[in-house]
Amino acid sequence: MTARPRTSLRAQLARPRPAPSGAASGSGADKLVAMPANKSVVTAASHMDEPLAESIAAPAIDPPGNAVARAQAGPEANPPINPPINPAAKTDVSSPAKRPARSVANSSVKSSARSATNLLAKVPAKRGANPVAKATGPTPTQAKAWFAARGWKVFPFQRDVWQAAMAGQSGLLHASTGAGKTYAVWFAALQRAARHKRPRVGLKVLWLTPMRALAADTLRALQESATSLLPAWQIEARTGDTGSAQRARQNKRLPDTLVTTPESLTLMLSKADAIAQFAQLDMVIIDEWHELMGNKRGVQTQLALARLRHWNPGLVVWGLSATLGNLAQAREALMPDGVAVEGHVAKDIVVDTLIPDHPSRFPWGGHLGLQMLPRVVEEIERHATTLVFTNTRSQAELWYQNMLDARPDWAGLIALHHGSLDKQVRDWVELGLKNGQLKAVICTSSLDLGVDFLPVERVLQIGSAKGIARLLQRAGRSGHAPGRVSRLTLVPTQSMELLEAAGARQAVAARDIEARPVPYKPLDVLVQHMVTIALGGGFRSAELLAEVRTAWSYRDLTEEEWQWALDFIARGGQTLAVYPEYRRVLPDDEGVYRVPDAAIGRRHRMGIGTIVSDSSLQVKYVSGGRLGSVEESFISRLKQGDHFLFAGRILEFVRLHEMTAYVRRATGTRGAVPRWQGGRMPMSSELAHAALEQLRLATIDGAETLGPEMQAIAPLLAIQQKWSALPTPDTTVIETMHSREGRHLFMFPFAGRSVHVGLASLIAWRVARVTPVTFSIAVNDYGFELLAAQELDWTALLDVGHGAKAGLFCTDNLLEDVLASLNATELSQRRFREIARIAGLIFQGFPGQPKSARQLQASSALFFSVFRQHDAGNLLLTQAQREVLEQELELTRLRATLEELQARHISFHQTRRATPFGFALMVERFREKLSTEKLSDRVARMVRELEKAAGP
Amino acid sequence: MSALPDHHGALALELAGELVWLLPEKALYWPRERMLVIADIHFGKAASFRALGVPVPAGTTSANLAALDRLVARHGARQVLFLGDFLHAKAAHAVSTMAAMQRWRALNPALALTLVRGNHDLHAGDPPLWLSIAMADEPMHLGPFAFCHHPDLLATGYLMAGHVHPVYRLRSGWESVLLPCFMANGQRIVLPAFGAFTGGHAVVPEADERLFVTSGDAVVEVPASPRRDGR
Repeated sequence: MTARPRTSLRAQLARPRPAPSGAASGSGADKLVAMPANKSVVTAASHMDEPLAESIAAPAIDPPGNAVARAQAGPEANPPINPPINPAAKTDVSSPAKRPARSVANSSVKSSARSATNLLAKVPAKRGANPVAKATGPTPTQAKAWFAARGWKVFPFQRDVWQAAMAGQSGLLHASTGAGKTYAVWFAALQRAARHKRPRVGLKVLWLTPMRALAADTLRALQESATSLLPAWQIEARTGDTGSAQRARQNKRLPDTLVTTPESLTLMLSKADAIAQFAQLDMVIIDEWHELMGNKRGVQTQLALARLRHWNPGLVVWGLSATLGNLAQAREALMPDGVAVEGHVAKDIVVDTLIPDHPSRFPWGGHLGLQMLPRVVEEIERHATTLVFTNTRSQAELWYQNMLDARPDWAGLIALHHGSLDKQVRDWVELGLKNGQLKAVICTSSLDLGVDFLPVERVLQIGSAKGIARLLQRAGRSGHAPGRVSRLTLVPTQSMELLEAAGARQAVAARDIEARPVPYKPLDVLVQHMVTIALGGGFRSAELLAEVRTAWSYRDLTEEEWQWALDFIARGGQTLAVYPEYRRVLPDDEGVYRVPDAAIGRRHRMGIGTIVSDSSLQVKYVSGGRLGSVEESFISRLKQGDHFLFAGRILEFVRLHEMTAYVRRATGTRGAVPRWQGGRMPMSSELAHAALEQLRLATIDGAETLGPEMQAIAPLLAIQQKWSALPTPDTTVIETMHSREGRHLFMFPFAGRSVHVGLASLIAWRVARVTPVTFSIAVNDYGFELLAAQELDWTALLDVGHGAKAGLFCTDNLLEDVLASLNATELSQRRFREIARIAGLIFQGFPGQPKSARQLQASSALFFSVFRQHDAGNLLLTQAQREVLEQELELTRLRATLEELQARHISFHQTRRATPFGFALMVERFREKLSTEKLSDRVARMVRELEKAAGP
Repeated sequence: MSALPDHHGALALELAGELVWLLPEKALYWPRERMLVIADIHFGKAASFRALGVPVPAGTTSANLAALDRLVARHGARQVLFLGDFLHAKAAHAVSTMAAMQRWRALNPALALTLVRGNHDLHAGDPPLWLSIAMADEPMHLGPFAFCHHPDLLATGYLMAGHVHPVYRLRSGWESVLLPCFMANGQRIVLPAFGAFTGGHAVVPEADERLFVTSGDAVVEVPASPRRDGR
């Protein structure tokens, strides 16, 4: 045990918590930064007593310099994995006797070296006492001893997980990061292994992680504890990075514990001997389930679990999750009859805002917020290590470049990190962060998850985080040790983001966290899974259907849908058509569906995976050396000699050869910035509603009682109010305006981007049904704009006083109208892109042999039109439509929004110029189109316009 | 040179002293020879996909043949010349595809067919003899024209070629539409792909090039000056 001066700890504790905003003054930082009034997201247990509080304070006095030693010693030493804080466990485990809630005294955290010594000193003695457990696994007593050896005590929630798992129960453990979740489930797995008298050969514990990068770290943590407790156990990882020799060895026999990704698991299921490989599997752990559950990788995981449970009905499955709005669904999707265990952790999260000196009255998102650069530089200067999150990769590139220009002396001290950079580059940056060698890293969601970077003191978020869950996640990347405050500072890139910031702080304080809906019956993933299983030993139709239905997303799968999917893979789609040349999956004489063609099997394995990216090209120096990858669509627009910004460098495009863009370093002039797909995140409705509420407060209370963000934005709101009006929960503001481009309509329902897309398309469609017209639609999280070249009488349609009188807001025939409006836009077609890849329609080619796939090249747009024309009943088309309805337009919310609009007053304004709110929409670059004009009429009109523009 | 209303949206154009029509159905008609010129029809492409385990619905072959029938009937064509990529791949010799083509040939016995071999034809092999299609290597000379598959071939005469599958993004203000197109300059014209299951390659015309887009109903020339940026 280390001898920390207890008195000093107590003294720290006795100090009052940071005072509410008004009181915080004096230091320069406090003047710059608006402190929230009630910033702590603390769910501290009410029975928190002194020893607990002491433990919270303990790590805070660890000097930052220790970080290097810690990282080298391995993650087991990192407090986040098992921090000595008291999580008041809440659980619905039906344990025989309800234990009184106990606080645990972890007297202090010690250095890793010290605890390792202790371990060596103590553990062998214990082990000697029980030779059987030495072979198979630790008993609860030994586990406790292991904890004690490092000065840790077992948390109630950890014990709850152990007990539940020992009783054969599955479940979901949720707590904020750094609460000791890893050891809760890992020691449960080890103790389960101890039940067996004799060690068994083969895979016993499967650990799924959403990110390859996390796999290596998890592996180290697991190995570290197992070396002393279960030295005989082999613990390995298997991801895309695993070398071929190890892979081959694993193919023969899997290790006792395997850390892997959902894709790699699915790949293993596609092997003919999969059933034998998983015969000894006892427990599956899904890490960061909240990252997976809401997307198709999560569905892939569900299907794989259904397979594993089919083989072993007693399989114990545990998910680890951060806090979510829909935890019950998260648990159900993982394991229908599992238990939920909650580990409460006292954690201060401070969210504040860097208020611009002169907020612009006309919000414009185009300049990426670089006017805030000097202020951001100041903030970075003041702290040891800062993470700067941006929302897009191009924004990260620009900020990095500009920061270097502003502070050339920071070369080598600041770095760039995003998903398109080469893995080596990313690894280097991550290592630098861990070792505390970097002053700042400009990053994207690529650093949302993953390894804990203890030195990070501060997180800056450029622009809106767009969601409360994401905001909390990013905030948690700083002060990542118990007792340290996580602090995230929002950096608004335009004035409207001040409004979002005010809303965000309100929502964080109220813990209004978004739900992550689990996808429902995605047939593309099912089709892929069926081919996987056909490869992995084959399947009988009725048996696999029953198995698939045990996966939550497919619980309502109908016979018809199943038959359709089976026909799709076995006969090429249509039940009645005969394609003798089509043979992807065929039933053998005994009715077992298999893949007869080895080449098709190989191609399928290559295509496994549900994360879709546009085809991307490697970027390499002519002289050698990889930089990363950019999307083909960007490179194809470059000419030889063009400059562009990538990986923090200005590069000159030299040539394109075999899926590789060759570049050399360029000097001087600015380059284009690549735009990557999927860069835009929609703001959650929770956040949008909080912002609307802030506006209501602005109209009622006056600016004095509002937070600093709302005060800063007051001049903008004043103009908005003078020229038009402020939207509130009781009033819908509608504006129309003329410009050279045509007739604009602006509406501000504040329902979030995705609902606005649906609403705008719906209203455009309802108007365009009567008169053929082409609309350009712009949306943001506050409202939408409809722009038409033709004149439209919006006054008659919408200046009706109250929403109840506006026929355009009618909810009758809503589904029909929305579907019709979808066909008039390209939304379904874009959705189909991903579906076509997952369902195996589009083949991306083997690495290194791009040409062989040429005869298989067709775009998803081509498939879309061929299916529409020749196989309109294709369920993948239906799925595309449904995904648009559910995920992009959120039909239920759309209906709710229309009802809200019907209940609100309409404040209709004809303005001569764009209002501040309208201006934000006018400058949106990404626009949706909706047209009911005949194509040839439209082309003729466009050509006429071009002729006119060209002059005589 | 203008779109003649009685010609179903076709656009008349003089190339190398000969009058030709650019048809909105993505083909070219040469009235003097009563010849229909078709580029990149890619018969059997769907079947090739199916053979490789990618389910593509039936109907693209019939769609191709029906489109040919309509054009032959409308213009009274006596011959059809294919500018290469007639069959998509070896697997295009699939039973269903071949049967549909055989039926079509039996209904149109008098129509003269010629194929200038393209890159896909080299791999797919020549069409079966019963199709009685005259085979030629590029360039095939007739009148002032050199019929080719590849547009960059060095040949005497005015080149007529395919291969590129050109499409053009027509933009005006905030609007844009992607349309199949013909590209012509003083030396050659490139035709859009005719096939029902073929994609497009977006092109940016050179300064000396004229560009004709088709909406399916009509062929329209894109005015030269404002189109240059192509973005």
